[in-house]
Amino acid sequence: MKTVSPKEETPFGRFVSDFFANKVATFGFLLLILIIVLAVLAPWITPQNPYDLKQVTVMDSSMPPGSEALAGYTMLIGSDGVGRDLFSGILYGLRISLTVGIMSGVIAMILGISVGLTAAYVGGRTDSLIMRLVDLQLSFPSALIALMLIAILGKGVDNIILALVIVQWAYYARTVRGTAIVERGKEYVEAAACLGLPHRRILFRHILPNCIAPIIVVGTVQTAHAIGLEATLSFLGIGLPQSEPSLGVLIANGSQYLLSGKYWISVFPGVALLLTVVSINLVGDQLRDVLNPRLQK
Amino acid sequence: MPNVKLLTPLIAGIVTAATMATAQDLRLGMSSEATSLDPYFHNLGPNNAIARNIFDNLVLQNEVQSLTPGLAVSWAPINETTWEFKLREGVTFQDGSAFNADDVVCSFKRAPDVPNSPSSFGTYLKGKTVTKVDDFTVHFTTEGPYPTMVNDISTIAIVSNESGCDATTKDYNHGDAAIGTGPYSLVEYVPGDRIVMKRNDNYWGPKPRWETVTYKPIKSGPARVAALLAGDVDIISGVPTVDIAHLRENETITLSQGSSNRVIYLHLDQFREKSPFVKGNDGGEIKNPLIDQRVRLAISKMINREAIVERVMEGVATQAGQLLPEGFFGVSSKLEVMAYDPDGAKALLAEAGYPDGFKLTIHGPNDRYINDAKIAEVIAQMLSANGITTAVDTMPRSVYFKRASAGSPEGLPEFSLVLVGWGAGSGEASSPLKSLIRTYDKDRGFGASNRGRYSNPEVDALIDKALVTNDDAAREALLAKATEVAIGDVAIIPLHYQVNTWAARKGLKYIARSDEYTLADGVVPE
Repeated sequence: MKTVSPKEETPFGRFVSDFFANKVATFGFLLLILIIVLAVLAPWITPQNPYDLKQVTVMDSSMPPGSEALAGYTMLIGSDGVGRDLFSGILYGLRISLTVGIMSGVIAMILGISVGLTAAYVGGRTDSLIMRLVDLQLSFPSALIALMLIAILGKGVDNIILALVIVQWAYYARTVRGTAIVERGKEYVEAAACLGLPHRRILFRHILPNCIAPIIVVGTVQTAHAIGLEATLSFLGIGLPQSEPSLGVLIANGSQYLLSGKYWISVFPGVALLLTVVSINLVGDQLRDVLNPRLQK
Repeated sequence: MPNVKLLTPLIAGIVTAATMATAQDLRLGMSSEATSLDPYFHNLGPNNAIARNIFDNLVLQNEVQSLTPGLAVSWAPINETTWEFKLREGVTFQDGSAFNADDVVCSFKRAPDVPNSPSSFGTYLKGKTVTKVDDFTVHFTTEGPYPTMVNDISTIAIVSNESGCDATTKDYNHGDAAIGTGPYSLVEYVPGDRIVMKRNDNYWGPKPRWETVTYKPIKSGPARVAALLAGDVDIISGVPTVDIAHLRENETITLSQGSSNRVIYLHLDQFREKSPFVKGNDGGEIKNPLIDQRVRLAISKMINREAIVERVMEGVATQAGQLLPEGFFGVSSKLEVMAYDPDGAKALLAEAGYPDGFKLTIHGPNDRYINDAKIAEVIAQMLSANGITTAVDTMPRSVYFKRASAGSPEGLPEFSLVLVGWGAGSGEASSPLKSLIRTYDKDRGFGASNRGRYSNPEVDALIDKALVTNDDAAREALLAKATEVAIGDVAIIPLHYQVNTWAARKGLKYIARSDEYTLADGVVPE
């Protein structure tokens, strides 16, 4: 199947060529890169800063795609009900959505890895206790837990991230524990223990690197999940503030216009969210296939 | 027993669903739901509307809030401090018991004292004593003259001495106590889903129009419109402004619109030296600029009311210059809508010592008034564009009103700039003047919703005098004068009067009401 001779390949090189062997995954990857670049560059490429209320005027409200704003620029995909340029609004919204998704994913990952590794390595009662806690949390729908947490914590980007971390850590903990338990029984760990290496070194230098593959897979899936969850919370009006809309807020605002014929107000933010989540999931799926040794020849 | 209670509505629900809708059945899709069937629990539009179907008041308000006889056939002051009401004879409650003065006396006793009431009727009843003279005559006495007696009395539903006066709010919600003399009697109440009523065949007034009436709450605007278009309901209240244009072109739908008694306005913190949501441009604390009349006036001038009405409300609202729309008793004929004048506003700000403005947060509800969150955001745009950098924070009404009225650590109003609305339940200007403008006085029930704590002895004196002036013309002049002084002071900043829209399927229409209530008998054939 492979055209390059195995001897010239580094492991990373093989990973890259495996990954891009799938056209759909390549498309997803390129789309994701494009979305991230657009989001990062938003302040320099959008005609309007939608969070600066000085630049937004209600006189521009509900204009169809291609209209000219009072300030002179063209609103490529129209404006929303309070006069925000939708193109600018979506790119800024993407920044928030991606920040929330990635930040909460990374923090939850660190937390979940620590807890999962501890559970697997210590075993016994600690393990049971932690895993029952994980079971308990996973038995509730994550949207429900996030809703309750936001109700307690209050609105704001930091609180959303905190809520999403609390919702997500259990997934990482369970994955890491499962893999780590397998690894713990292997000879190289025994060997390391015989050498008298400290626990911490065995955990983080020996076991953890061998658990990385599933963590990466769970990480991408969870990031997409977190972005969707943030949009859900914002859609329900308990996520981010009205004047600094994330994609969820934009979609919620647009949903009021669904029957009115002003389709662009809800459709374009919805498409943006869809493309983001789909691209991350495509990348995640392919990572899972490539990194799973059982699926490889 | 609890099992039976659970099962009954379930079975009834299946039966209801199975019954085909006929011309005698009315299904209403409501933008907001009543919080209880207890007519005294919560002085809230949807609750009062449901109560008006099941109960009668001594005096009723028609669609423009003019007073008409209800359970009382006539009324008149018999001396400076006493009003006499003659009651209607031969009226029976829906359980068959007869209506007489005992029901009136006990109703007025229960009305102000319902436990846990989020907003009670006490404000209409403070200082009034009701006594039975004979079976069909009651006297209301006050310490001094009380010209708005009939308006106040018209807000109170009459419950039954036998089943209603000693009942709890729970008893009403279970239906055991929800027994009135009104045109419809309760069949079932499933909170969050429906309230079903049937015609009261023994009604004393004109024959109620519908055999059965079902109120269904459908909170989401597009879902409500979709339900109407799909024929799941016959009429909806609170038509979203963005949908009015396309519904108007739809030949299968009839729209009705009516100006309401509700003004949407801003309160400004005028009682704190340092206001919690006012900051200097560097983010540090500054002396509260909203105490300065020039700053308040500047803010009012920064607001382009025409833009709000045209762009946010889609033309379905009227710009406001005072507390009640034209035509209501006690409004001023001299006040005009504050003109949009950004240059004048900037000059005023500079004169007051804020040439570079300051920072401010506007707070508002996001599920109470028509387009409330959008209005808050647009006002923030307008202030930001003119030097007052304004942030927006909107929240559900369940959280919002508590914080807006008493959310600070000291139990005072928490916010600095507050978006709210006020519907004049009594249908005349003393209602907003007493509640929003007069100096806060908990014991006398004044200023209960004065969230900016505006206080001006001159206005207080005018209001107090109006409240004890029996001569209508003199009282109207006093109310108008009080309004003029308060608006001149920028006690509050009026934005617009709501216009309410109902949409019905072809063949029906709704007689629009200024009090915003959706009543079953207001739905008539086209």
